[in-house]
Amino acid sequence: MTALLECRNVSVGYDKPILENVDLAVESGELVALLGGSGSGKSTLLRTMTGLLPPLSGEVLLFGESLYDLPPEGRSELLTRTGTAFQQDALFGSMTIGDNVALPLCELTNLPASLIKEMVRMKLGLVGLAGFEDRTPNSLSGGQRKRAALARTTILDPQLVFCDEPSAGLDPVVAATIDDTLKQFRSTLGLTLVVVTHVIESVRAIADRAVMLASGRICAAGTLAELEASTVPEVYSFFHRVPPPMTTSRTAISSITRGAT
Amino acid sequence: MSEPVASVERDGRAAVVRLHGDLTVPTAKALYVGLQDLARRRDVRSIILDFGEVGRIDSSGVAAVSLVGQQIKRSGKQLDMRELEDRHRAAFAMLPKKVESHEPTIEQDSTLEKVGGGVIAAWDGAKALTSIVKDAGHQAALVVSRRKQLPAGSVAAQIVEMGFNGAFIVGVLAFLIGVTMAFQGVTQLERFGAGVFVADMISLSMVRELAPLITAIILTGRTGAAIAAELGTMKVRSEIDALATMGINPNRFLILPRLIAITIAGPALTLMAMFIGMLGGMLVASLTIGLPAIAYWQRIAEFVDLGDYAHGLMKSVLFSWIIAMSGSHFGMRATGDSSSVGNATTRTVVVSVLLIIFVDAAFATAATVWKGG
Repeated sequence: MTALLECRNVSVGYDKPILENVDLAVESGELVALLGGSGSGKSTLLRTMTGLLPPLSGEVLLFGESLYDLPPEGRSELLTRTGTAFQQDALFGSMTIGDNVALPLCELTNLPASLIKEMVRMKLGLVGLAGFEDRTPNSLSGGQRKRAALARTTILDPQLVFCDEPSAGLDPVVAATIDDTLKQFRSTLGLTLVVVTHVIESVRAIADRAVMLASGRICAAGTLAELEASTVPEVYSFFHRVPPPMTTSRTAISSITRGAT
Repeated sequence: MSEPVASVERDGRAAVVRLHGDLTVPTAKALYVGLQDLARRRDVRSIILDFGEVGRIDSSGVAAVSLVGQQIKRSGKQLDMRELEDRHRAAFAMLPKKVESHEPTIEQDSTLEKVGGGVIAAWDGAKALTSIVKDAGHQAALVVSRRKQLPAGSVAAQIVEMGFNGAFIVGVLAFLIGVTMAFQGVTQLERFGAGVFVADMISLSMVRELAPLITAIILTGRTGAAIAAELGTMKVRSEIDALATMGINPNRFLILPRLIAITIAGPALTLMAMFIGMLGGMLVASLTIGLPAIAYWQRIAEFVDLGDYAHGLMKSVLFSWIIAMSGSHFGMRATGDSSSVGNATTRTVVVSVLLIIFVDAAFATAATVWKGG
């Protein structure tokens, strides 16, 4: 198998690094989940992988090419082989669902309108939104909007799809529908997926491999079974829903009574 | 220490404080003051708090004991706590844990650092604006050379929004300013028997100064703020990131259509404002000093040449670009939350008006110097 995406010793962040020394390779056909608590840097790493935030150091290789060494046009060209579904669905409110999904085709290809329409119909059908072409994003529920965004993300049949918290803020049933949609995309379109999430159920349902981010680094990587059996404190805490150590009564009292003498 | 909170027994240099009842808000102050007094006494080297007869402890009781504990530590004395029940221990668990942080302590910036930070932020802003202008120019070149296309119908839609929908308010303002100026001019000029020159005054002011300025200010409030709010909201909702990850240049998709539209709508509105302003002046001149309309327009035709119109329209184009680029720049720099969208619109209006007045002054100076030369 070949790595579609590779992070080599990457540090990401804005002014200061949030994650450092990230080494990660995503092989063709895989579904890799990036796990971690809030603020662990999952979404920041995803922004770096998707060309939106240059790394502070290190190299991001997309389809074997160094993403940030390419000129802006070359980077845009390379990114058309990927798709990104954002945590906020990022649908354009001024457009219908059909126009939203068709946008990449209209902008980046010279396909005839009838063909574009058919492709949109097909992709909307695949996400269970057949007949929603003329609806506006505002008239859809959260889950439907997410699915419409997934249809737009995959309209150019990308090889690699990034999803940022696809099931965040959705009820368990709708979240399961999104998971099913991702699995379906994978089997139908042969996609490779990188999914950022903190929902363990979702990881169990879809991921081949998970990478756990905590304390500014990758603290564990492997199959879900391996991570669940891990004794690394951050991983154990995450998978077994154990909150980080809090003040115990004994330590609280000793903090008062520990005298200087 | 006052009853019923505690009683103190001495055991050499140690003081045993037997606490009674609930250590809650009503008794916390007495407890705190009593323990503080005890902690200050030089003949007391250690304090033993006996919780054997304590009922409930709430956060005020915990805070009082904790604060006195810190004071005792600082003075090199010792504090012990005895006969604590589980419920008491649970109450003390409310105390925040001291976390050993590897993060460097965040220190308050000094004034110099704040000024430096401001300069760096301004420099970053200028670089970002330059980058947008450069890329918009590059995208425009790609569109002109037919290597890229603008989104279908986007320019027309923007012209309708910026031009047609703003025409009424621009027209009303221009008319009222023409009327006001004419009243003032006629009153003054008639005293010297020079009422007919009101046409010269109004036409030149409207064409060279007021029409471009009024239009620009209206466009700033309507269009500039709208551009900033729209792009800012799109940025906050990740829509612009979505475009970028699709390989669609956001500058070509969002900014260029607005820039082209305002380049057409701005001067068009300005031209309209020029004539409506002069029309207002004509009505007043006709009603107050009986100046015939034909004489008024003839006077204007003789006095205002094409150079004056070009001057006004050129300024209008520049003002329009300032508005569009400010709105785009600040909109694109919105981050994270909805308040940043509000900030973007405010900054757009303030910076646009400031730059417009600055450019206007520069134009007036350059024109005067040029004519003088």
